[in-house]
Amino acid sequence: MTRYAIVADLNRCVGCQTCTSACKHQNATAPGIQWRKVLDFEVGEFPEVSRAFVPVGCMHCDEPPCLEVCPSTATRKRADGIVTIDYDICIGCAYCAIACPYQARFRVDAPANAYGGERMRHERLRDDPARLGVAQKCTFCVERIDAGMAAGLVPGIDPEATPACVNSCIAGALTFGDIEDADSNVSTLLRENRHFRMHEDLGTGPGIYYLYDGEIGQTAPIEPAPMVAEPAGMAAVLPRLQHSWDWRAVGNFIFGGAGSGLLIAAALYGLIAPPMWSAVFLGLALVGAGLGCVWLEIGRPWRFLNVFRHPAQSWMSREAGIALAYFALGGLAWLTGALALLLLAAPFAFAFVYAQARILRAARGIPLWRQKQIVPLIVVTGLTEGAGLFAVVALIDQALAGVDIGLLHHGWLAGGLFALVVLRFALWQVYRRALGHGGAPKAALAELDETPLALAGLGQAIILVLVSAAFLTPASLGVAGALALLTGWRFKFALVTRAAFNQGYEIARMPARGAGVSGPGIRPGWVAE
Amino acid sequence: MQQNADTPSDGRWSYCYQCVAGPDLLKVKTRNGVPYQVGPNDEAAEIHPAGGKVCVKAFGLIQKTHNPNRILTPMMRTNPKKGRDQDPGFRPVSWDEALDAIAARLKQARADGLTDESGFPRVAASFGGGGTPTAYMGTFPAFLAAWGPVDMSFGSGQGVKCYHSEHLYGELWHRAFTVSPDTPLCELVISFGANVEASGGVCGIRRHADARARGIRRIQVEPHLSVTGACSAKWVPIRPKTDAAFLFAMLHHLLYSAPRERLDLPFLKEMTSSPYLIAPNGFYLRDPDSGKPLVWDLKTATARPFDSPDLDPALEGEFVASGREDGADEQRWSHENIPTRPAFSHLIAHVEPYSPVWAAEICDVPAEDIRDTAEAFLDHAHVGETIEIEGRRLPFRPVAISLGKTVNNGWGGYECVWARTLMACLIGGLEVPGGTLGTTVRLNRPADNRWSSVTPGPDGFMFYPMNPTEKETWHKRSTTRHAHQTLVPLAANSPWSQALGPTHLAWMMQKKGFDHLPKPTPPDVWFVYRTNPAISFWDTGAVLDAMSNFPFTVCFAYTMDETNHTADILLPECTDLEGLQLIRIGGSKYVEQFWEYQGFALRDPASPPQGEARDFSWISTELARRTGLLEKYNAAINKGAAGVRLFGEGYDFSLPPEQPHPPEEIWDAICRAASAELTGGAQSQGLDYYRKHGFRVKKFPRLQWYLYPALKDQGLRFELPYQERLMRIGQQLGARLHEAGITWWDRQLKEYEPMPHWQDLPGLWAQALEDAFEVRIDDYPFWVLTARSMQYSWGGNAGIQMIDEVARNIAGHAGVVMNPKAAARLGLREGDLVEIASPSGKTRGAVSLRQGIRPDTLLMLGQFDHWKTPYAKELQRPSMNALMPMLLALTDATGSGADLVRASVTPIGAAP
Repeated sequence: MTRYAIVADLNRCVGCQTCTSACKHQNATAPGIQWRKVLDFEVGEFPEVSRAFVPVGCMHCDEPPCLEVCPSTATRKRADGIVTIDYDICIGCAYCAIACPYQARFRVDAPANAYGGERMRHERLRDDPARLGVAQKCTFCVERIDAGMAAGLVPGIDPEATPACVNSCIAGALTFGDIEDADSNVSTLLRENRHFRMHEDLGTGPGIYYLYDGEIGQTAPIEPAPMVAEPAGMAAVLPRLQHSWDWRAVGNFIFGGAGSGLLIAAALYGLIAPPMWSAVFLGLALVGAGLGCVWLEIGRPWRFLNVFRHPAQSWMSREAGIALAYFALGGLAWLTGALALLLLAAPFAFAFVYAQARILRAARGIPLWRQKQIVPLIVVTGLTEGAGLFAVVALIDQALAGVDIGLLHHGWLAGGLFALVVLRFALWQVYRRALGHGGAPKAALAELDETPLALAGLGQAIILVLVSAAFLTPASLGVAGALALLTGWRFKFALVTRAAFNQGYEIARMPARGAGVSGPGIRPGWVAE
Repeated sequence: MQQNADTPSDGRWSYCYQCVAGPDLLKVKTRNGVPYQVGPNDEAAEIHPAGGKVCVKAFGLIQKTHNPNRILTPMMRTNPKKGRDQDPGFRPVSWDEALDAIAARLKQARADGLTDESGFPRVAASFGGGGTPTAYMGTFPAFLAAWGPVDMSFGSGQGVKCYHSEHLYGELWHRAFTVSPDTPLCELVISFGANVEASGGVCGIRRHADARARGIRRIQVEPHLSVTGACSAKWVPIRPKTDAAFLFAMLHHLLYSAPRERLDLPFLKEMTSSPYLIAPNGFYLRDPDSGKPLVWDLKTATARPFDSPDLDPALEGEFVASGREDGADEQRWSHENIPTRPAFSHLIAHVEPYSPVWAAEICDVPAEDIRDTAEAFLDHAHVGETIEIEGRRLPFRPVAISLGKTVNNGWGGYECVWARTLMACLIGGLEVPGGTLGTTVRLNRPADNRWSSVTPGPDGFMFYPMNPTEKETWHKRSTTRHAHQTLVPLAANSPWSQALGPTHLAWMMQKKGFDHLPKPTPPDVWFVYRTNPAISFWDTGAVLDAMSNFPFTVCFAYTMDETNHTADILLPECTDLEGLQLIRIGGSKYVEQFWEYQGFALRDPASPPQGEARDFSWISTELARRTGLLEKYNAAINKGAAGVRLFGEGYDFSLPPEQPHPPEEIWDAICRAASAELTGGAQSQGLDYYRKHGFRVKKFPRLQWYLYPALKDQGLRFELPYQERLMRIGQQLGARLHEAGITWWDRQLKEYEPMPHWQDLPGLWAQALEDAFEVRIDDYPFWVLTARSMQYSWGGNAGIQMIDEVARNIAGHAGVVMNPKAAARLGLREGDLVEIASPSGKTRGAVSLRQGIRPDTLLMLGQFDHWKTPYAKELQRPSMNALMPMLLALTDATGSGADLVRASVTPIGAAP
């Protein structure tokens, strides 16, 4: 077996960005897009300060989070460890970009010119429409490797068969080779030097190894990156807000969650009273609207059918498949008025909102999302929003139809909503505690905690009071329902956009420079546990 | 003989010489005649010190070629008024119209006399960094040679942006235009602000990376944690411009705290002036008959000439001796039985006040750190050890001290370069394996080989081509506007000397002349190529004002910029990937280009010229033809003005002088001569050969990296520690200047000390600013420094988008670097906009917070502040050049200043 990897010697790297530039030339990446780049870290406080340069890019992980989440199977992993993207299949959902903890993936939707205006000659020459609207990233210069091997060359040894970044490195800091070959250049380096990999604790098995000290032996333990507060001038390495998913993605989570919850509420209500078909219709419409939002977000919308290609691993594919059953059964139920069909649709509604929760959970690049406690929280939030919305719909329906749905039904509804709000609050507490102080970037936690009208505190208490008051005045149930809905939406809006900071970068150990000694690393923007 | 494998099927061979650390070799991939990718020349991996690599700057060349902001047709100014606020009103013209207009001006200048009423050349030219433009200007040097006197004294960075004191004193002491550690063998480098990881080029980067990998120890002494500091084992954040105190304190430790036997006493006795006896007036005590300096021979207990056989000269002690003493001009003294001490004894007394404890307060560095540094220097010196290089056994001293910009230029430069070179002598580490080496010569001749430049001079030292200071020969009227022959003996008078004079004086005198120098005049015609002094020099506002008064400026222009804003004619020449040229490669050269090969490399056009751009050699030929200088021009090419002499023993590829020759014909002849030169006339392959192979080299002996053998073989010594010759020259210069009524150079004359004393350098800056601008220096609490950036240095690429994009990955490129605590005191956060004001100027930029900088220091990388250059002007980046006044008080005796000023910081807006 072959497993290609890059070894970056941090003792050698000078941060010159020659590799960055060589990559841009080799791969004709758009202005601002850097498949390979070198980060600039600083650790300590004046005058005890050290600085190091860290080349990053796609890590071609052993367990690539991008591959797992990809709904279209565009992302694949070759037998030699190289993670590839099939531009002709990719739908441009950018889920992989979010799932990647190394910020290695990009999506460019329109041709970009370095100087604006007309494209320069070399830009025109290298136009590649296939790369527009789809995911792109470092390929380890797979075409150089394949062409080189076809010509009998050895990747990592012969320049023409070696990634451009490695071949361009002026400090001899980058080495490419097969780590499965014990005698290879990279294996030798790893055997003879202390090394770490970035975000090792995330279990991705990244394929870039960083040498930080010499000739100690690879079994020597390395310290995890300590977390420090208030790093100065580290914007380039701090966790950043993800910009791949915006309000359109939020639309899927808020409409999809509320719509699914609404249909479930309607189905359950059907067990004790005549089904409220307007709620069913609304539930279907909301989920449809949510999926419509996603359709607007993806880079290649007319390839949307490719979303179904990866149900084996991708929760996005599964969500899409579940949505088909959901619409089929829910739609038929609405058309035929058959309660049985509605009851059959309800589990798919539940599955849909569960799939949404798992979509977030699978995004390992976003610390707030990848917590396992997010799954019950997102599910119950969806159910609570659905119940709240159902209460609103029911009251409106009652008002429009002049039909009294009765105290008993109020009781079921109010009780259900009360229980869900309490449960949601409890799950929020569990989730937030799980994040603790160090489970997410400081800025993400601050945003989450400061989000008004979210799941914590007074807002939820007011909802419970209003629900309790429903026995005196039914209208308060509607207000409570609306609040339950809106606070859930507000939370998810914050979760998916404003608090969705990525992992950021880290350096586990500052390298020894020459005769110097290595030192503690840094995970900028994270607070100590 | 080594050669490349073959012409690349998908591209062309070329070279990158955008920075002084080049040239390096590269390959340009093309498709359909469009260059689209730059990469290393892997075929040169075996012969190039950095394995055939090129740095990030070379990767900007694709955009540089296709940049839509390029000037692609000749342009002529329509608005006679010049200045920043004036629209030049450039209109496109044909090449004929542009060249005829230039030729008319040149012919008029020629008719008026090659020099004007002040004796200055009517034609002036300014070229960019470190001579690199010659690698792109084709045969233009032949045109200049054919023309006659050309004034190159209008600086565009020289002095203030270079390693000026190192250039001059380095060439004097060890043929070292620049200085480098023998990195491949070195164990310890103490680097005072030398930024090799940013400006050392691919060869420097690779050598130091390899050295780090084998465990070299480098201590970086610098007020901020530069890229080089980052790559060092230790960072010592010294107070700005106090490096001389640190170095003096190291000397103190070596001479007062270490046992003598830890020094290389044989080296000091045999290879330096340490044993020379000093007479009462400070000059050498000399043999009355031969005039040779005397030493005290311990064997015979007598004073004997330094080169007497079988000597054991004393280094220390007081001895009674007789002899003569030769002072300045005709001063002579005769001494009988006077007490006298060797120079080394004087040195010991000289450094006595400069203890580490004394330096600690000045430098803001603990005395213990200074002692440890000096002790490490001794520990790694390996005194007494030898190593064999190419069959010759040489001393092995794997320790060196590097000096960076602002340390080795301006006031204090002499002190630092002297102390550094002297310390190398103390352990026998000058010009030996592992130690402190020169790279190349630019003032001494011949320039192609340091060994050849070693010829005997006075008193057992090497010859040095000083500008004369004797009454009969002193140049009262210099042939250049900056008066380098008049004021700076060390600047010599080689083709490079003009660039190494006090180049800011040429600009200063355009505003107000200096008393008793010829009346300042603007040049009739000023040529500008690959330089933008309105951005890259100090006091850029004053420079712009001066050039706005030049009557006729011709800029070989890439894009519009701040300098060619004042031009009368813009000429679009083929840029790096479009022009044809053959240059020399290999040998030893700055910054750390130590090759084991030497030869030639071709710049084969990878792209047809864009628009109306023309090959520089075509432009040069046309200028020569239209000004009636064709025969002289061709003759100059034949004599080697384009880099290779076209005839030699057994070959002659001279061009017929009476007719114009197209560039390909010229370069074919040059290629043939190059082949012949490399093969001793045996082969004569031309352009096609180089197009196919890219380069051609032969071996360069590694032994020639070291100057020690050349001196040893000729029985010569390094002129250290005592500067008797400089003291004499300084006194003579002072006498000449005073005879001419010139007293404004008196402060500079004080530098001519036999051994430099510490002067309060930070205080000198503060005082100069207070005096010149009547300010309180405390109102300007920060020191402002700059540093080179590999992405930008010398590249002329501030308008290249890709360079900007990748440079942003390295902290500090986006604004002014500031310590977080200092920023907090001003209520500043990352990205906040500030105005930085010195007593003489202002600049603006965003705050970039880093812990790796002293709280009393600000750092502005590179040179920005563009207001005309497309793209660059949108960057809104600060530049310290606008803050730096050109002051005589801040000009040292070599004519250089230093990038250093005091400034205040005022918040003007929150981060966007």
